[in-house]
Amino acid sequence: MLTVVKNQILVCILSVKYNIMREMLNKVTFLMNVTFMILNNASILIQWFVLFRLREDIGGYTMREVMLLWGLTAASFGLSRVLFARVYSLPELIVSGKLDSYLVQPKNVLLSVMTSSTNISAIGDLLYGLILLAVCGLGVRGFLLSLLFVVTGMIILTAFALFLGSLAFWFVRVEMLSGEMVMGLISFATYPDGIFQGISRFLLYFIMPVGMIVYHPVHILVRFDAGMFFTVLGYACLLSVAATVVFYRGLRRYASSSLMEARM
Amino acid sequence: MQAISVKELEKTFRVRRKEKGMRGSVQAILRPQTEEVKAVRGVSFGVDEGEMLAFIGPNGAGKSTTIKMLTGILYPDGGRVEVLGIDPAKRRRQLAYQIGTVFGQKEQLWTHLTPYDNFRFFGAIYDIPEKETERRIGELTERFELGGFINTPVRNLSLGQRIRCEIVASLLHKPKVLFLDEPTIGLDPVVKESVRSLIKQMNREFNTTIFLTSHDVGDIEKLCKRIIIVNAGQIVLDDSMEHLKYHYLHKKIVEVKMQEETTFPQVEGITILKHKGTYARLEVDTAAIEIGDALRRINAQAVEDINISNVPLENIIMEIYKAEGKDAAS
Repeated sequence: MLTVVKNQILVCILSVKYNIMREMLNKVTFLMNVTFMILNNASILIQWFVLFRLREDIGGYTMREVMLLWGLTAASFGLSRVLFARVYSLPELIVSGKLDSYLVQPKNVLLSVMTSSTNISAIGDLLYGLILLAVCGLGVRGFLLSLLFVVTGMIILTAFALFLGSLAFWFVRVEMLSGEMVMGLISFATYPDGIFQGISRFLLYFIMPVGMIVYHPVHILVRFDAGMFFTVLGYACLLSVAATVVFYRGLRRYASSSLMEARM
Repeated sequence: MQAISVKELEKTFRVRRKEKGMRGSVQAILRPQTEEVKAVRGVSFGVDEGEMLAFIGPNGAGKSTTIKMLTGILYPDGGRVEVLGIDPAKRRRQLAYQIGTVFGQKEQLWTHLTPYDNFRFFGAIYDIPEKETERRIGELTERFELGGFINTPVRNLSLGQRIRCEIVASLLHKPKVLFLDEPTIGLDPVVKESVRSLIKQMNREFNTTIFLTSHDVGDIEKLCKRIIIVNAGQIVLDDSMEHLKYHYLHKKIVEVKMQEETTFPQVEGITILKHKGTYARLEVDTAAIEIGDALRRINAQAVEDINISNVPLENIIMEIYKAEGKDAAS
């Protein structure tokens, strides 16, 4: 059993390594993409600096908390798209029958699919997020805790995209809904939760898991709350299991195709 | 012992239906309609260990769907499948260690990596120890003559080189059964021949069971001893190649160039396919008339040149498709 897990992890690592190797083939494009993503993210933070010169707090957040928010969001989203970028294009793979080559391999089909692609600009997101978390003055313990939340955020985000993407086994045009939901989630995750009230707040905590990806972690990093901490961990596990179940239930409906295809 | 056993296999797809035009598109949103397409209908057959089987049929006959159910890609809706004693739908991963697949239209290799890096990756996928992977890569590189391009990215290889690499990747873990879905599609005759001889060699040396689907009659004729023809999701013929030829090759094609323009007599068993000036192309049904008699009837003494050949296997298969397809569909 241990060997099986070890070999599976080895294949996943190799897969991610080869993905990054592919992206690095064009050195200039690679470096430009990473650099511009960092600069792009940084430019938005400047707007927040300006806003906080006018007001002391926005939605109950200070500049440091906004930096934490951005750090966690960028790093979680970045890590998810560096390791599991394919999950974001899962509906297209399902609808056009491109899972065949993963299904004939003796490895976990879900992990093989998810790790089969990477996104270069996501490396910029990840670096930017980690830099922000490092300069937020969390201390060593706080920084390590923030890294744990980057991982839980990545798991929740990936599982959320997997859950929505797997619906393509049942519904053909799900890729738009899936894409919009994920991008909407990322947009909401970069604003303080205090500015959302009523239905929108309910949505962000119970429909889109923004609360579990960033809001709870930011609150925990500001003031540790064990209950909230275990809620985040439990939610990450639960959503992963649910998304995996939906994927495998859907896989039974997979119809493949006769389209020509190449593994790019 | 049987390597593959299939009983009453069935697969049905639900396909969306849409009326033409914008109105149809709106209707499809409000009241989506689907129809059931029976891709495989009660297919049963067995393949012995070490056998080379051609599984052929026209487009949409259900051959790729069958191969996908045999490899665990698709779940059957009915019937039973066992490949090397394993049910592909229930123990897909376990089966994958023992089978190899080559889909001519679907690349399994990473195009930005070299064949060597790809083979290393496949070695990891099949849990082959590193040293053993290296040894196998060396051995297969020599046998399949990949030395000249093993370190060139796959995207820069010719189609023939790529297919050879695909086959090597599928052999790295020494599969007992190899599924080949149109492995020679798009290849030139020389490369086709080399791919065929490699497949033959593999079958001879390792007793690998070969399950081949192809539209290329050359693949079928040169590789397989047994043929299964499917049409409209059903088996319409399961016979040995020898038997098939014996039964269907009672027709001969006689091409003659006469010394002067002649008219041919209307004789039972002789059909004039083409007649232009002194050249004529005739089909002789040897079940109705002996070839010697036929030659006498066309006045062999006035023949300047003659060529007698069998009806191409392609034509025989086409006839079976047409004749049996109608029965299967009805």
